[in-house]
Order: sequence, then C-alpha cells, then structure tokens
Amino acid sequence: MSFESLILFKCYLITAPVLFVIGIYAIGTTRNIIAMIIGLEIMTKGVTVLLAAAGYFNGKPQIVEPLIITMIVVEVVILTISAAYIINIVKKHDSLDTHNINKLKG
Amino acid sequence: MTISLIFVPIILVILLNIPRLSGKAAYYAALAFFAWQFLSVFFPFLGSQQIADLISKFFNLNVYADGISKIMIISAAITAFVSLITSKVFAKRDSRLFALSNLMLLAAAGINGLVFARDLFTMYVFIEVIAVASYILIAIDKKDGALEGGFKYLIISSVATVMMLFSAALFFLVAGSTGFAEISLAVKDFGANPLVSAATMLFITALLIKGGIIPFHAWLSGAYAEAPAGVSVFLGGIITKTTGIFTLIRFFYSVVGFSENIKTVLLIAGSLSIVIGALIAVTQKDFKRVLAYSSISQVGYIVLALGAGTALGIGAALFHVFNHAVFKSLLFVNSASVEKETGRLDIDSFGGLGYKMPITSGTAAIAFLSAAGIPPFSGFWSKLLIILALWSANCKGFAVLAVLASLFTMAYFLNLQKKVFFGELNAQLEDVREAPLALTLPAMFLCALTIGAGLLFPYVLRLLIFPAVGIV
Repeated sequence: MSFESLILFKCYLITAPVLFVIGIYAIGTTRNIIAMIIGLEIMTKGVTVLLAAAGYFNGKPQIVEPLIITMIVVEVVILTISAAYIINIVKKHDSLDTHNINKLKG
Repeated sequence: MTISLIFVPIILVILLNIPRLSGKAAYYAALAFFAWQFLSVFFPFLGSQQIADLISKFFNLNVYADGISKIMIISAAITAFVSLITSKVFAKRDSRLFALSNLMLLAAAGINGLVFARDLFTMYVFIEVIAVASYILIAIDKKDGALEGGFKYLIISSVATVMMLFSAALFFLVAGSTGFAEISLAVKDFGANPLVSAATMLFITALLIKGGIIPFHAWLSGAYAEAPAGVSVFLGGIITKTTGIFTLIRFFYSVVGFSENIKTVLLIAGSLSIVIGALIAVTQKDFKRVLAYSSISQVGYIVLALGAGTALGIGAALFHVFNHAVFKSLLFVNSASVEKETGRLDIDSFGGLGYKMPITSGTAAIAFLSAAGIPPFSGFWSKLLIILALWSANCKGFAVLAVLASLFTMAYFLNLQKKVFFGELNAQLEDVREAPLALTLPAMFLCALTIGAGLLFPYVLRLLIFPAVGIV
C-alpha cells in the first residue's frame, strides 16, 4: 500500500465509525420518531462507506458492488415499513414525540 | 432440500398473489408448506431434492444444510404451523387471513435461508426478510400498543442489524470475503488484530440485542405482549430464537470459534438473563408479559450453555432452542385460548379457570413443568445437558446457578398457574367455556411433542443432537 492510499484508507476507517456513532447518538437522544429513522439511515451510510472502502482496498470492488446495492434495496424496504408505522402512530396520537406516544410499561 | 425450502415459499407467495386467491386458499397452502417442511427433514424423498435441482439451474446460492440447521428447520416448521392455526381463530376477515398466511410464508422463507446461509451477508439479507415480515405481523391489527411495541422493536432490531453489517464489513476488510470459510481462516491468522476483535464484539452485541438478552431486553416484552395472539406464538417460539440465538450459535460454530473472553461474556450475560428475567417475570401482571420475561430467562439458559464452549454445550443449546420453541408456543397458544374465551389477559382477574378449561389448564401445566425442568418432559433433558456441559467445561459455579435458577422458573410459573387456572372459580367466569378445537388441538399436539421428546430422549439425542454437533 502506497503512502497516499494509506492516508485515504485511514480517512475511510475514521469516517465510517464516526457516521455510525453519530447515528446511534441521534437515535439515543432524539424524541422525534422521524429523527430516529434518520439516525438509522446515517448509521447505514457509515456501513456503506466502510463496505465500499473494504472492497476498494482489497482490490475486489466487483464483489462489494452487488452487496451495497442489495443493502440499499433492503434499507428502502425497512424505511417503507417504518414510514407505515409512523403514519399509523401519527394518526392515533397526532404527535411525533415519544413522550406522548409512550404508554407501555416495562 | 436447502434451496427448495427457501424458494418454494417465495414462489407460493407469488402464485397466491397473482392472481389474488382467497384467504382460505392461502391458509391451506401455507399449512401444507409447513407440514412439508417438517416432513422433508425426515423423508428426503418427498420431492425437495428434485425441486432443488430444478431451482439451482437458475440460481446459485451459497447455502448448505448441516445438523444444526435441521433442528432449527424442525422447530420453525412446528411453530409456524401452530401459530398459523392459532391466527386463524382470531382472523375475522378473509383478507386478514390472506395477509397472515403470506407474511408467515415469507418469514418461513427467511428463517430457512438464515439457517442454511454460509455467508455473513446472506445472513444479513435473510435476517431482514424475517424482520420485515415480523414488523408487519406485530402491527397488523394497528392497535395502539402493538404500534408502539412494534416501533420499538423496529428501531432496536434495525440498529442491531446495522451493527451486524458493520462487523461484516470489518470482516470483509480483513478477510476479503464475507463467506464463513474465509473469515474463519482470517480469524485464525489475524486473531489478535484489533479490527477482528472489534468486529467480533460488535457482532456478538448485535446478536445479544436481537435475542433479547438482559441489558438489551427493553424491546422484547412490548413486542411479544402487544402482538396479536397468533403472532406472539410465532415471535416467541422461533423468530427471536433464529435471528438472535441461532445466528450466535452459527457464528461460533462455523466462523470464529470460542475464546476465553467470549466464553466469559456469554456466561455472564446468560446468568444475568436467567436471574433478572425470572425476577421480573414474577412481578408481571399480564399473562403474555410473564411469558415474554420467561423467554428472556430461558434464552439465558441457551446463552449459558453456549458459554461452556464445548460441542456438548452447543448441542445442549440447540436442544433447549427446540424445547423452548415447543413449550413457549404451547404457553402462547394457551394464552390465546384464555384471551379468546375471556377477552382479557390480566392474571389477577382470573381464578379457577381450570374447572372451565380443563384442556388448556392441563396442557399449560405440562408446559410449565417442562420449562421448569421436571422429568420426564423434554425440558428436563435439555436443562440436564446444559448443566452437564457447564460442569464438564469446569464452570461449576454457573452449573450450580443453572440448577438453582430453575427454582425461579418454578416460582413465576406456579404464580401464574395458581392465579389463572387453580383456586376458587371467580364468579365472573361462570359462563366461560373450553376454547374451540382449533386452539385445543394445537395445544394437545405440542403437549404430545413435549412428552414424546422427553420419553424418547435417547433417540432424539442420538439421531438429531449428537450428529449435529459432531459428538460420536
């Protein structure tokens, strides 16, 4: 690995966990259920970056490409389901705040 | 057998939707598939191989059946079969039955794919298939609690999945592939590499979240208790066990192997789950919540058995997964019977239901005894195997804990049984009748399985469990 690509590699290796942690932090601190989904998406983007970098530095981009595309497709499905959940929750409670929604004990 | 069990349900779903058939047709098609799935494990000549040959001309999947996947396939088939029958009792409209049957077929395809997968990324895809189907199943009635419990489950479980994917990407970085064989080679070569340890820890954490082990159990009771009655059977019996626990077993068995640190983590997480899960279960007032926390406690036993780190431990864990699938499905079917006949699940409002619902009460008692580890029911044997595995792996303290914690299991189940089925008949419950045949028949079937697997234990051990983990 040449010096430039080593630096590039470090950039990727730092960016991906940072995105991941930002996502977890967002989910943990927000009270807005749409913001939670956005946090989830940010986490996923971190993984996408890491996967792409892993493929590039292993010299196997052709293996990683279908993995990333599959991942994006699966992620869209999850987003659709969560959108359905959010729509139904808003219809019932007329609010996006977890404090107004949270009635379950335990 | 492998590919056909993944593709036949998907093809069935397509055929049922184009053109759209009636709910009854979908129901019987799904039941027939689950029965076929169960039988194809024991009788390979039932056509699964021929269909697999046909499909593999078009698709090339990295899948492979071994002993551990067989046990999971059997448990999944039993649970799905029973839970679909239970769901039908509660499905008022034809379209609801249609949706339930299709989603359960999809979830079954996901489970079969997951247990046959030989690649971390394939595992991720199938876990998401199961997860998507179960998110919809939980909230299918659009009830308040179900929406909230389901959303909690969606967020926490998706975070776990992304963690798992992150660790798969790290493994790719190290190994240059996500296949089990390549990763386990890379782990052998660069075991001390911080990337490998980070990936392993992330993966284990993700799976403990998915399995509902104690520090990460917040989502589990909401999802189990608020889901519709039939779906609870499916969720509690098999879904979290495959996505969480089976994947954990597979990860250790086929990919990374056991190290001392991993064993310690598993032993501590398992014993915490057993004790705290049981203690919370004693305090719960809702029938299904008691069962949910008992699930956490029983999953603790499975993780504890894995912590032994030996082949016997893995075998014991698998056997307990099977037993748990049977007796927990049975208990959820019983809770469905109670809910159907009385319309509520608050355990303090019952009393003496056993006089009115003798079959439900009797089968529930047998399930309790099996869960608490009383011979000759099958739960006794798996707990015995767990304790033996721990003792022989020199984790004697944890073996003693496993024995003593059975008392906790007795405590919350006796509490439940006494408040719901035994004692004086509550005056309000005078005109309650036994649940319909569609609920008592599955209960009796599962009950027969518990007793049968317990009495025929030597055969189960020699034909399924020991070959699966390679003990001769």
